[in-house]
Amino acid sequence: MTRWAMVVDLRRCVGCQTCTAACKQANATPPGVQWRRVLDMEVGEYPEVQRTFVPVGCMHCDDPPCMHVCPSTATRKREDGIVTIDYDLCIGCGYCMVACPYQARFKTDRASFAYGDRPTDAEDKGFDGGRLAVATKCTFCVDRVDAGTAQGLTPGIDPEATPACVNSCIAGALHFGDIDNPASNVSHLVAGNTHFRMHEELGTGPRMYYLWG
Amino acid sequence: MDRIAPWLQTHWDARAAGNFIGGGTGSGLAIVAAAMLLASGETQPAAFALAALLIALGLGLVWLEMGRPWRFLHVFLHPHTSWMTREALIAPPLLAALGIAAWFEGAASGVAALVLSLAFLYSQSQILRAAKGIPAWREPRIVPLLVATGIAEGAGAYLLLGAVFGVLPESPFAIALALAAIFARSLAWSSYRRHFARGSAPTGTRGALAAISPTVVMLGTFVPFVLLLAALALPDAVNALAPLGGLAALAAGWWMKYAIVRRAAFNQGFAIAQPPAERSGATRAEARPGWS
Amino acid sequence: MTRREPTTRRRVATYCYQCVAGPDLLTVQVDDGVAVAIEPNFCAAGIHPGAGKVCVKAYGLVQKTYNPHRVLSPMKRTNPLKGRDQDPGFVPISWDEAFDLVAEKLNAIRKSGLLDASGYPKVAASFGGGGTPQSYMGTFPAYLAAWGPVDMGFGSGQGVKCYHSEHLYGELWHRAFTVSPDTPSCRYLLSFGTNTEASGGVVGVRRHADARVRGLRRVQIEPHLSVTGACSAEWLPIRPKTDAAFLYALIHVLLHENARSALDLPFLKARTASPYLVGRHGYYLRDPASRRPLVWDVKRQSAVPHDTPDADPALEGEFLADAIEIGPDGEALERGSLTGTTAFGKLLEHMRRCTPEWAAPICDVPAATIRRVANEFLAQACVGETVEIEGETLPFRPVAITLGKTVNNGWGGYECCWARTVAVALVGGLEVPGGTLGTTVRLNRPMSDRTGSVKPGADGFMTYPFNPTDKEHWSARPNIRNAYRTLVPLAANGPWSQALGPTHLAWMFLDGTPKGLPGVTFPELWFLYRSNPAISFWDTAAITDKISRFPFIVAFAYTRDESNHMADILLPECTDLEGLQLIRIGGTKYVEQFWDQEGFALRQPAVDARGSARDFTDIATELARRTGLLEPYNAAINKGAAGAPLKADGYDFSLDVTKAHGREGIWDAVCRAASAELTDGAASDGLDWYKAHGFRTRRFSTLDWYLYPALVRQGLRFELPYQERLFRIGQELGRRLHDQGMTWWDEQLAEYQALPPWRDFPALWEKAAADAGLNSADFPFWLVTARSMQYAWGANAGIQIMHEVAENVAGHGGVIVNAATAARLGIADGDLVEISTPGRATRGRAVLRQGIRPDTLLMIGQFEHWATPYAKNFNVPSMNGLVPMSLDLTDATGSGADLVRVSLARVGGRE
Repeated sequence: MTRWAMVVDLRRCVGCQTCTAACKQANATPPGVQWRRVLDMEVGEYPEVQRTFVPVGCMHCDDPPCMHVCPSTATRKREDGIVTIDYDLCIGCGYCMVACPYQARFKTDRASFAYGDRPTDAEDKGFDGGRLAVATKCTFCVDRVDAGTAQGLTPGIDPEATPACVNSCIAGALHFGDIDNPASNVSHLVAGNTHFRMHEELGTGPRMYYLWG
Repeated sequence: MDRIAPWLQTHWDARAAGNFIGGGTGSGLAIVAAAMLLASGETQPAAFALAALLIALGLGLVWLEMGRPWRFLHVFLHPHTSWMTREALIAPPLLAALGIAAWFEGAASGVAALVLSLAFLYSQSQILRAAKGIPAWREPRIVPLLVATGIAEGAGAYLLLGAVFGVLPESPFAIALALAAIFARSLAWSSYRRHFARGSAPTGTRGALAAISPTVVMLGTFVPFVLLLAALALPDAVNALAPLGGLAALAAGWWMKYAIVRRAAFNQGFAIAQPPAERSGATRAEARPGWS
Repeated sequence: MTRREPTTRRRVATYCYQCVAGPDLLTVQVDDGVAVAIEPNFCAAGIHPGAGKVCVKAYGLVQKTYNPHRVLSPMKRTNPLKGRDQDPGFVPISWDEAFDLVAEKLNAIRKSGLLDASGYPKVAASFGGGGTPQSYMGTFPAYLAAWGPVDMGFGSGQGVKCYHSEHLYGELWHRAFTVSPDTPSCRYLLSFGTNTEASGGVVGVRRHADARVRGLRRVQIEPHLSVTGACSAEWLPIRPKTDAAFLYALIHVLLHENARSALDLPFLKARTASPYLVGRHGYYLRDPASRRPLVWDVKRQSAVPHDTPDADPALEGEFLADAIEIGPDGEALERGSLTGTTAFGKLLEHMRRCTPEWAAPICDVPAATIRRVANEFLAQACVGETVEIEGETLPFRPVAITLGKTVNNGWGGYECCWARTVAVALVGGLEVPGGTLGTTVRLNRPMSDRTGSVKPGADGFMTYPFNPTDKEHWSARPNIRNAYRTLVPLAANGPWSQALGPTHLAWMFLDGTPKGLPGVTFPELWFLYRSNPAISFWDTAAITDKISRFPFIVAFAYTRDESNHMADILLPECTDLEGLQLIRIGGTKYVEQFWDQEGFALRQPAVDARGSARDFTDIATELARRTGLLEPYNAAINKGAAGAPLKADGYDFSLDVTKAHGREGIWDAVCRAASAELTDGAASDGLDWYKAHGFRTRRFSTLDWYLYPALVRQGLRFELPYQERLFRIGQELGRRLHDQGMTWWDEQLAEYQALPPWRDFPALWEKAAADAGLNSADFPFWLVTARSMQYAWGANAGIQIMHEVAENVAGHGGVIVNAATAARLGIADGDLVEISTPGRATRGRAVLRQGIRPDTLLMIGQFEHWATPYAKNFNVPSMNGLVPMSLDLTDATGSGADLVRVSLARVGGRE
C-alpha cells in the first residue's frame, strides 16, 4: 500500500524560504497564506544559542484531527495517506483549523492580491474563487502526484510528479516518497538517520519525518 | 509575533464564543427548567422559550461566522465523528422540544427537553475537546467544566428569569439546584485549572487562565454561594438575593467561556524534539518555545 | 497544479543572475502566454552543482514581470528641479522622442569632446550588482565600448561595501577575486563572518548542506548568529573588526606552539617566498647580477638565487650574502656582504607577541578557544597527505579559512586577508584540494580562464597588472573621478578596475576635490541601470543630494526608485523574463561557482514584453545608430563584447558592421559562436537550438579549481608571507603623491606593510565617531548589517512575495537587539527604537534575539525606501543613512566597511 510521506533534513535546511515561495507560486495561494513555510527557531541564552530552521505544513496525519471534526466531510484522507479538502463541500466553519495542532490550515474570506485590489495577469491565471472562505492547506501537490503516477512517474524521484516545495529546495533538505515501500528514498532516509516527528505525543501520526543526525 | 511559540487562535472569534455562551446557558436553562418540571411539577414556561432563543442565537452567530453560510446544510454530513454535526443534528429536535415545552406543559415534553438539552450541552463541550490544536480546549477536563457551567448558568438564568418576569416566587429547590451546579462547576474549574497550573502548557494559556481565575472563583462561586445561601436563610429577601446570586453565577460562566474561547486559546505552536546534531548553542534537546 | 488547465502551456528555459552567486538555471511555466510559475531546470541537474535549482529570489520573477508599478513606457521629466522633495513630473513619451532626447545629448558630447576640462569622461555609467547587470543589459557593453571613455566609478556599493580588500589582495596572491573553501572535500572551516547560507547562492548552499551531512565542521566567527552561524558546529561571537587579532593568534599558535615539522615545510620552501632573504631596509636581498631574490641554500651553505635548481633553502635564520638591496624607484640601498633574515624568520618574530592571551581581550573570545581552534585547524589539515584528481597527484589539505563582509573590507581588511592567506599557506592549504581557493579573476586576464591568468612575473611570482607607481608611468592625472589609477595600484587598469577603485571618492570629491587631483566634475550624462545608490550606498542623504545635481540622467527603470527619482529620462527595458541574452556559465565564477562543466546559457523571452518595454540589445543598437557608432558597436560585438567573439580559427559569424541588427540576429550569431567555441568548431547551432535546450556545456577540468598545479608547472611561488612588492609600491606611491603635494592619502599609505602589524581597528571607528563630535559612551553599540537571501539584489525590495516570505526570517522588518540589552534599556519586542549617530538617525522595530552580542545591533539588508513602490511603506531602518563617506575610514585599497558606532533609544511602543 502506498503511503506518501515527507522527510525534512534539519541538518540541511537553511531557512531560505525557497520552498515557501515555490509552494505559494505553484498553488497560487493569496498573500499571507503559506501552506509550506520555514520557521526560524531560536532557543537558549546568549552566548549559548541555538537557531534551527524548521519547514512545517500539513503533516497528512495518520489520525487527522481535522478530518474527525469536519462536519461536512470536506476533509478526507485517501488510501495513499494524502489528506484532502473538497472545497465545494467545505462550509468554512473553521473547526478543522482549531483542530490542527500544526497550524497548517488557512481560510481567506476575501480575494486579495499581491499589489492591492486587482490581480496581476499571473494571479488571474491561478485565482480560484472556489477557495475563498473555505479551508485550504498543503495538498502534497496531489494534482502533480496523481498526474505523475498516471504517467508511470515516481513522485519524489521524477520532478513532474513531485511536490513543488521538494523540487525547489536548494539545500536538498526536502524529500518525498512512499514510506510504506522499504526501498524508497524516504524509507532509506528514515532508516539511516535519527529522526523525530513533531508533536508526536498528541497521537496524530504525522507523516513528516525530521532528520537530525 | 514570530508564529512559532503558541499564539492566540484567530479562527474562532467572539461569535464562536457566543455559541458556547448562548448554547451553553440555553441548554443549561432548559435542563434546569425541565428538572424543575419533573421534580416539582412546576416550572417557568418562559424558561424553555428563553432557552430556545439563546440556543438559536448561539447557532445564528456560528452561522454568521461560517465562510460559506449558505452551504450550512453540509454541516449535517458527518455524524460519524464530528461533534459539530452532532450538535447540529440535535438542535432542531431540541428547539422543537423546547417550543413544545414552552407552550404545552407536560412531563413528556419535559423529559424530551431534558434529554436533548443534556445531549446538546455535552456535544458543545465535546466540540471544544476535539479541537486538538488548542491546548486549553483539548484538555478532557473541559467537558465536565462546560457541562457544569452550562447548568450553573442555566440555573442562574432560571433564578434571574423569576425576578424579571416575577412569574413564580423563587423556589428553594431551584436555589438548591443552582448551589449544586455552582459547586460542581467550582470543582470542575479547580480540576481544570490545576492541570494547567502544574503540567506543561503554553505560557500564554497558563497566564490567561491565571488571570481570570480570581473572577471565576469570586464571581462564579463565592459571591453566588453567599447570596444564594443568604436567600435560603432569609426568605423575605429571597426574591432579591436569589436573582443576584443567579446573575453572578451566570456572568462568571459567560466570562469564563469567553476567556477560554478567546483569551486562553493559544495554539500548540511548534517544537522540535532534537536540534540538528553537531550544532552550536544550547545543549538541551527538545525546543518548545512558548511552553512552560 | 490547482490552476485551471490552460489552452497552451510552455516551459521556457532561462537563467537567473540577480546576485553574484549565480548564474543558475530555471524554467518558467507559461500558461496561455502568461508566466505563472518558476521551477528549477531539471535538465540541468547533471551539469549544475545546485541540481538545476534557483533560490527564493528567482521565484519572485513572476511578480517582477507583472508588477503593476513597473515603468512600461519611456518617461521624461517635466519638473526641472531635482531632489527628494521634488516631484519629477514624469510624463510618458514615445521611444522615438526618448531616443531623440538621449541621442541629442550624446551627440552634443561627441561633438564637444568626450573628456571634460578636468580630463574626466563626460559620460558616466553606474550598474551596481557586482557586474551581474551585465547579464541583463544585452549588447549595451558593446555600445559603451564603441563610445569611448566612460566613467563607471560612481559607486552604488561596489568597491567599498563589497569584499573589496579580498578582491584585490586575493587576485594578487592567488588569483582569487573571491575566495571559497573547496567545499566538496573540505573538513574543517573557519568562517570569519562569511554568510554562505544567506549569500552563497544555490551552489554554495547545496555544497555546504552536502558537506555538513558528510561531516564538515564549520566554526562561525561573527558578532551575531547569522543563518550561517545557525548551521555551523560552533559560533564564536567575536567583537566587530577584531578578526585580524584572532587570525594573528592562530598563526602564532601554528608557528610558536607546535613543532615546526607540523607545518607544510616543503610547500613553504618551494611554493612560497618564505626562504627569501630580507635585508636591513626591509627589501629582499638580491643577486647583484641577476637581481633575483636570494635564498640560503643549506646544501651549498651559501646564498643563491631563489630559482636555483635542487637548492634546499633555509626557512629560518640570519645569513650573510653577497647581495644588493634595492628599494623604491630602483634605488640601490646597499650592496656587498649583507645580512639577511629569511622572510619566514621575520614572520616568526612578527607573530611572537600575538598569543591567544593577547588576542582574547581584543576579540572577546577566550584564549583557550582561540588556541583550541588553531590546533584543530592544524590537526585537520592532513599535512603531507595527497589525493588524485583526474590523474594528477595533488596535496590534500581539507581545511580552509574564509572571510565575510566587514572583515575583508575597510581598515583591517588587508590584515585579515593577509593573515588568512598566510595561515592556510603554513599548512600548505592554499589552492589545493580541500583547501582555500580563489574562484575567478576580474583584474587578471583572461577573465574566463583563471588558470590561464597564471603567468611568470618578477621574483618568481605571478604577474600582476599593478597600476604603475614609478615616476615615469604613474598616473598623476586620473582617467576617471575616483582616481583609482592614481591612488590604488592594486586596482589594475582593466574593464573592471573602475568599479574596484574607491568609488565613494567620486561622490565625495564632487563637493571638494582634494589637492592634486583635477576638480571632480559632474558628468554631463549619467546612465543608471540595476542600481540604486540613493539606497545602497553610504550617507544616502548626501548621495541623493549629489544625484540631484547631475545635469542629465538616463535611468533604465524597472520601477520608480530613489535614484531615478532624479532622472531626466526613464527607459523601460525588458526585465528578466522578457529579454534575450546569452551568457557564460560554469567554469569558475564568483563565490562557490566552480563547476566541472563550462559553457553558455540563454535567457530568452518567456513572455512578450509588457507595455512598451524594449530589449536592451535593441536599445543599444538604436542608440548606436543615432549616435553614429553603429560600426564600432558592431565591431565590439564581433570582438566579443556580447560574451563570445564571433570569429576565431575555423569560424566566422561576424555581423555586418554597417547594419543595425535586431536582437534575434545578434544573439543568433553569438549563439553560433558559442556553439563553435564549445565544440572546437564542430557545431554551429544558433538561437533556435539554445531556445530549445537552454544551455550548452562541455567538461571543465576540476584540476582548474586549483592554482597549485599551474604554479608547480611554471616553477612559481605564492607571493607570501612577506609583502616586499607591496611595501615598495607603497613607498613609491608615497613619493609620487608627495611630489604633487598630496598628503591626504598618507593614512592609507601606512597600510603598505610587508608584514602588517595589528592595529586597534575598532578604535578607528570609535575615533571617527569622536571626531564627529560624539562621546563614545553615548554611542555604545556597534551597528552591523547582514545579507538577506530573500531581498538581496535585483530590486527585490518591491516584490510582495519576497517581503512576505522574508518575514519568516528573524530580523527582517526591524533592528535586532540582544534581549538582555533590550531589557536593560526597557525595550520590548516590537517597540519603536531610534538608532543614531550625531546628526543622523533611523527608526525601526526592535527585534529581540539571543543570538547577538550585547554590544551589537544588526540591520538586515538595506531599506528606508521613500520612492520605490511597495518598499516605501516598509518602515524598516537602514544603516546606510548613518554611515558617512569618510576618507578616515577608507583603507589603502579604497574600501570601507559597513560598521558604525551608534546609540539606541526607545521612542515608542508596539503599534
